[in-house]
Amino acid sequence: MTISTLPGDTPEEGGAVGTTVRRKEDGRLVTGHGRYVSDLRLPGMRQVAFLRSPYGHARLRRIDASAARTADGVDGVFTGDSAEIAAVGLRALSALPSYIETEQPVLARAKVRFAGEAVAAVVAGDRYQAEDAIELIDVDYEPLPATVCAWAEPEVPVHDEAPDNVLLQRTFEAGDVPETMAGAYLVLERELVTNRHAGNPMECRAGVALWDYADNRLTFWSGTQVPHLARNMLAELVGLPEGNVRVIAPDVGGGFGTKAVLYPEDVALCLMARAMRGVPLKWVEDRSEHLLAATHARDHRYLMRAGFAEDGRLLALEADVTCNVGAYSVYPWTAGIEPLMAGGLLTGPYRLGHYRCTVRGVATNTSPSGPYRGVARPASVFAMETVLDEAAHELGMDAVDIRRRNLITVGDVPYRMPTRLIDESGRYGECLDKVLDSIGYDGFRAEQARRREAGENPIGVGFACYNELTGLGRAAAAGPRMAFRTGHDACTVRINPDGRVTVLSGVTSQGQGLETTIAQVVADAVGVAYDDVDVRIGDTTESLWGFGAFSSRQAVIGGGAAHRAGEAVRGRVLALAAALFEVEEAKLKLEAGRVHIIGVRDELATLAELARVAYLESNRLPDGFEPGLEATRFYDPIRGAFAAGVQAAIVEVDRATGEMAILRWACVEDTGRVINPQIVHGQVAGAIVQGIGGALYEHLVYDEAGNLTTGTLMDYLMPTSAEIPELDIGHIEVPADNPLGVRGVGEGGTLGPNAVLAGAVADALGVRISRLPITPAVVWEAVQ
Amino acid sequence: MKVGFTVNGEAVSMEVEPRTTLADALREGLGLTGTHLGCEQGVCGACTILLDGRPIRACLMFAVQASGCSVTTVEGMAAEDGTLHPLQRAFCDQHGLQCGFCTPGMLMSALHLLHRETSPTRRRIREELSGNICRCTGYASIVDAVQAAAEEMAAGMDDAAPTEVTGGTT
Ligand code: FES
Ligand code: FES
Repeated sequence: MTISTLPGDTPEEGGAVGTTVRRKEDGRLVTGHGRYVSDLRLPGMRQVAFLRSPYGHARLRRIDASAARTADGVDGVFTGDSAEIAAVGLRALSALPSYIETEQPVLARAKVRFAGEAVAAVVAGDRYQAEDAIELIDVDYEPLPATVCAWAEPEVPVHDEAPDNVLLQRTFEAGDVPETMAGAYLVLERELVTNRHAGNPMECRAGVALWDYADNRLTFWSGTQVPHLARNMLAELVGLPEGNVRVIAPDVGGGFGTKAVLYPEDVALCLMARAMRGVPLKWVEDRSEHLLAATHARDHRYLMRAGFAEDGRLLALEADVTCNVGAYSVYPWTAGIEPLMAGGLLTGPYRLGHYRCTVRGVATNTSPSGPYRGVARPASVFAMETVLDEAAHELGMDAVDIRRRNLITVGDVPYRMPTRLIDESGRYGECLDKVLDSIGYDGFRAEQARRREAGENPIGVGFACYNELTGLGRAAAAGPRMAFRTGHDACTVRINPDGRVTVLSGVTSQGQGLETTIAQVVADAVGVAYDDVDVRIGDTTESLWGFGAFSSRQAVIGGGAAHRAGEAVRGRVLALAAALFEVEEAKLKLEAGRVHIIGVRDELATLAELARVAYLESNRLPDGFEPGLEATRFYDPIRGAFAAGVQAAIVEVDRATGEMAILRWACVEDTGRVINPQIVHGQVAGAIVQGIGGALYEHLVYDEAGNLTTGTLMDYLMPTSAEIPELDIGHIEVPADNPLGVRGVGEGGTLGPNAVLAGAVADALGVRISRLPITPAVVWEAVQ
Repeated sequence: MKVGFTVNGEAVSMEVEPRTTLADALREGLGLTGTHLGCEQGVCGACTILLDGRPIRACLMFAVQASGCSVTTVEGMAAEDGTLHPLQRAFCDQHGLQCGFCTPGMLMSALHLLHRETSPTRRRIREELSGNICRCTGYASIVDAVQAAAEEMAAGMDDAAPTEVTGGTT
């Protein structure tokens, strides 16, 4: 199940799509010549540092910044009451009836709502001076009781508008749960709690803002995953025409959702830049700030009640899901991002007619929760799979059989889920078969029994079946009726006068290699070599539009737009050639940069010759043919493409220490048609490993006063090469209904590990795992 | 204060504050931004460079401590003519990087390993690189790359003619 195409293989007849071409990004990245925001240097640039609240909840009585203002190298000090800053607040909007709109200040005003919230900012000659000055700011805080648990009564609400801290609540309902539950053979009730952790990309957040001295123009270099959205939001927030705002996301050192948010620090930088026109202001976040104040995720509680028939059929599911959304409704996605995803996809790839699920997003005095790779589903899959495992146990069934009994099959698709989403994949059984094969499930139970008898360290197997909804079009766009609806991206394909191709694509990349995959798509769509295509991304003045990187959408949507634009340009080339050579257009084809008459070996013209005519030799242009060779197209898949996925692992547990070793790990996903095998493999592998990190190590812990007690990478543990096993990753390729037949693969891998590892430990030891992460201490306690 | 050291074979001397870290001196003072900062807490390994041939965390060291030393950064790995080091090439071939942020540190740690051991096992490579966090790749492809580079280097350079990597585009 490994990739058979060798790196650097030249595309064969079929073209670039489907092959592992050399990544266009790598040349600069392996030589130390990447262009990350943190590397950017501009003449006259100044550095920014933020003063952050040491309290989880406190009234801000007074800020005295006078000493900081006169400190060495300081050019400016800003607080929430500075006129430039106070004028703007972030209000994430949703039209959901239960949604309580609240405001996130750019710098805290009147009170602080989480430890790490930015209270003041200093602009100075270098970062050392800025941090020195930060220490001179004197803030008088009046501490308030903090709430850090979303399912505890708040003493003092986080926002006055929401006395119970509930910012949003919604119930999903289908069928008749009470009646079905009453008739069920087995009713299981479980409480499952998942651990707060975060995307934590290796490059922290960074931004450089420059407000032109004379022209009313703002340029913002940012590691954002959503440059066009950021431009739109910034223009509105700072009151500039959108055309006067330029957002540039150059090389970005990982994002994973964390950088799909417009942060108050981003807005602060831009507002301070307006106050200091002509001076580029740079902020590079350090890791302590990142752990404190970049978005967190996955701090959820699931109260599950599931009814099963005697044969293992899932009949009804009732759930109550509480998501800790932190101190603010994350901008612009709102506090609904996790709860609504959890409720919308909790039932996963299983047939179910009767479903009732109430989800709520509850504010607490912790860093805001935001999108993190897999959004809510690593937690919801854990809840669902745990319930299935325990039902199997109660019913005396095998864990695999109960899944087979309930999985949506190819015969069921298109399957309408109880939340009305349409699953059109259905290949779960096939993925499961392959995974079982890969982990050697056949011999596993015998070995498990043998070890038990021999008194050796026990082994266990865990499973996760999941459906990842990728490439969401306008009809499926996730989200709580926000002020915008995602669905489409744009792409411009331009053939230059020399016949080479420049692509201005609306996609963004934080490591996913989009320069490469978009070039592959366009090379084939136009009919040129991969090496003749250059892709420009991440600059809002270059590409027309793209919503950005989230929801595993870019291969499907940005790729679809690139394909359509490439085809349109090819059409223009063929039309030009047809007119110039007086051949019927339908008889022509463009391949490897040459136009041929179909069936004739020798070319009529090279693309370079035709491009020259289109731009430089107007005397040869056919009547009525518009000069230039360029096309811009949008693509919106309307619905989404579900990607079926199954993971399983075999673990060995040391009863004495609680430590666990992962012996085998397999994952098979329906990736649709693969654009670049190596990149797809890398996406899946990276996602699984993030999932393993979340399941076993990563935990953001607050004490009762609202202090983050895991504020460095020494306390917040991320997996390293020493802990991570070799992964057996395979896929099936069922083309999806979009121009390229692709399905998103960015997030699916994160969905499995919580469930897989909890299930495996439970299976090995015959215990229940109800809380994550599964640390050696948790395992050891379970054994006692 | 003035501090002098060699960076990638070239003697440099610069004015720094006593508290300036070596990482900041390289990045801000010399414009060698290939050395990345992922934590400034000595944990992530993104800032790993070689100091007199030994890997160190540039975020944990003051520039003045490097006085008189020889510093190797990722910018010094490729040959003068731009030919990539076998490790750099293997990282490209094996997809040992995604965002590339951890890559300079990984390359430095791997280089140090291959200076000492010509054919490390996968387990050895995993052990040696465990001081470098990568959030993107899941590590196996990095291990593949180091293994491939080790094999190539051990087999002798001659029959493994370097190839050009397609350059960046934006
Ligand atoms: S930046 Fe030096 S170890 Fe992380
Ligand atoms: S490639 Fe992104 S952190 Fe390693």
